[in-house]
Amino acid sequence: MNTLIQKLFAFLKRDFLEEASYKFSFVTSFVGIFLSSATFFFISKLISPNSDSVLDPYGGDYFSFVIIGIAFSGLLAMFQERLPAVIRQAQITGTLEAILVSRTSIPVILFGSSLYYFLFSVVSTVFHLVLAVIVFGMQVEQINWLGALATFFLTAVCFLSIGILSACFILVYKKGNPFSWIYGSVSGLLGGVFFPIKVLPGWIKWISYLLPITYSLEGLRKSIITSSSFSEILPSILALSVFAGIFFPLSLYTFRLALKKAKKDGTLTHY
Amino acid sequence: MKAIQIEKLKKVYPVVKGYRELLFHPFRRKGITALRGIDLEVEPSQCFCLMGPNGAGKTTLIKILSTLVLPDEGNVIINGHDLKINTDEVKKHIGFALSEERSFYWRLTGLQNLDFFAALNGIPLSHRREKIQEVLNLVGLENAAERRFNTYSTGMRQMMAIARALLTDPDILFVDEPTRSLDPVAAQNIRNFLRKDMVENHKKTVFWATHDLSEAQEFAHTIAVIAQGQIRDKGSVSDLTEQGKISLQKVYKKAVEES
Ligand SMILES: Nc1ncnc2c1ncn2[C@@H]1O[C@H](COP(=O)(O)OP(=O)(O)OP(=O)(O)O)[C@@H](O)[C@H]1O
Ligand SMILES: [Mg+2]
Repeated sequence: MNTLIQKLFAFLKRDFLEEASYKFSFVTSFVGIFLSSATFFFISKLISPNSDSVLDPYGGDYFSFVIIGIAFSGLLAMFQERLPAVIRQAQITGTLEAILVSRTSIPVILFGSSLYYFLFSVVSTVFHLVLAVIVFGMQVEQINWLGALATFFLTAVCFLSIGILSACFILVYKKGNPFSWIYGSVSGLLGGVFFPIKVLPGWIKWISYLLPITYSLEGLRKSIITSSSFSEILPSILALSVFAGIFFPLSLYTFRLALKKAKKDGTLTHY
Repeated sequence: MKAIQIEKLKKVYPVVKGYRELLFHPFRRKGITALRGIDLEVEPSQCFCLMGPNGAGKTTLIKILSTLVLPDEGNVIINGHDLKINTDEVKKHIGFALSEERSFYWRLTGLQNLDFFAALNGIPLSHRREKIQEVLNLVGLENAAERRFNTYSTGMRQMMAIARALLTDPDILFVDEPTRSLDPVAAQNIRNFLRKDMVENHKKTVFWATHDLSEAQEFAHTIAVIAQGQIRDKGSVSDLTEQGKISLQKVYKKAVEES
C-alpha cells in the first residue's frame, strides 16, 4: 500500500516538474477559463429567464446551466486527450519502455499517468465554479454534496475509462483516435453541455442517453444548481454506475490486449 | 544454475499490409523474421558479448529477454524462472540499460529521473536517496545529478541509463551497443566499467550486444556471433580464435557469411 502511494506520488511529481518547467501553461489555462466564462455570461444575457421552459428543471438560468456543462466536460476532454497524449509521448521518447521494464503494474501506470492532469482539471473545474459564483453572480443555494461527490466520482471513473480506451488505440495504431472524435464532438453536441438535451429531435435524443456525460451533467446540475434530494439524483447515479461498471474493467482489459499487441509487433517504441 | 537459457527462440515481426495487398491476399501472412530458432546459454558472472552485423537480431533478442517484446515460439529461463510464466519474478533479476537516450525526461534533472524510476521499482522513500547515491557513485555521475538531463553529454546519458538499470540491483544487466556514438575515451570508460566493476567486482552477468570486434575481443569472457537471426558461433575468445592462431575478424567474417 505504501509503495503504491509512493509510486502514484512519483508520477504526480514527474508531471508537476515537467509542466512547471513550462512556466506559462498554468497562467494561460486560467486566463482561458476566465475568458470563456465571460463569453457565456454575456451570451446568457440574450436568453431571458422564464421565456424558456426547457431550462426550468435546471433553475431557469442559462449561465449556471452552461457553466456546469463546460466546467465538467473539461474533465472528459482532459482524460481523453491527455492520457493518449502521455502514452504517445512515452512511446516516441522511449520512456514507455523504461516504465514497462520497471516493477509497476499496468493499472498503476495508467492511474499514475493521469493523476496530475486529473488534479489539475479538478482545480480548473473548481476555479470555473468559484469564478462563476463570485465574479459572475451564479446562484447556488444549497449544494447536495453527497449527490455531487457521488456523481463526480463515477463521472471521473467513466471518463478515465474512455481515456484509457483512447490510449489503447494510440498504442496500437499510433494515430487517429476515433474515441476522441466520438466523445469530443459528439458529447459536446449531444451530451447536454451547452443546451438541455430536451431540445434535440426525438431520435437523436436516444444517442444522448448512450453517453455517460449526459448523466454526469444531469446529476451535477441537480446537485449543484437546484439542490435536489439524493433520490432525485439517484437515476443519474445508477446510470453512471452501469457505465463505470462496464467501461472500467473493459478499458483495463483492452489496455492489456493493446500492450500485448504492441509487444508482439515490437512497437512499444515507434515513431 | 545458468544465468540465461534460451531454447528455440523465434520471432517474426508482423508487417502492416498495404491496402492493395489486403485486397488481393487478405490471408497471406507477411512478416520480417528477426530470430529463427536461437539456442543459447549464458553462464553467471560473465561478460557475454552478442556480436553481429546490423539487423542480425541483437536488439530483438535483448528486448525479448527484458520482457519488452513477445516471442512467437521458444523458451527463456532466467535465473531459473520462466520468462513467459513468471514475468514479474524475472523482472527482479534483470536490468536493461535502454540505449534510447530519450528514454529519460529531458527537462528533469538526473536525480529527479532516477528518483522517479526508483519509485516505480518499489524502492521505498526511506532508502531511495541512499540507493540513488550509490548508483551515481558507481557510474561516477554524483556531481552531475542536479543538472537537467538535457545538459548531459551522450556518454553521461549512457551512464545514466546504466545507473537506472542498476537501481534494482539486478544479477543480469543487458546493454545494447552502449558505446555507440561515444568518443574513444568515454567508450573505454563504459567498457572498463562493465567488465571490471560490474562483472569482476560485483559478479554481475553482463549481456552486451555490440558490432565492435575489438570491443568484444578485449572485454568478453564469451562471444556469440549472431547473423540473420541465428547463432552462428559461440565460445571464449581463445577458443574461437584457436588460441590466437586465427584473427577474430576472420572467425566473425566466416560465421556471418556462412548460410
Ligand atoms: N518493430 C519492428 N517491426 C518490424 N521489423 C523489425 C522491428 N524491429 C526490428 N525489426 C527487424 O528485425 C530484424 C532484426 O532487427 P534488430 O533490431 O533486432 O537487429 P540488431 O542486430 O539490433 O541491428 P542493429 O545493429 O542495426 O541494431 C531486422 O531485419 C529489423 O529490420
Ligand atoms: Mg540493435
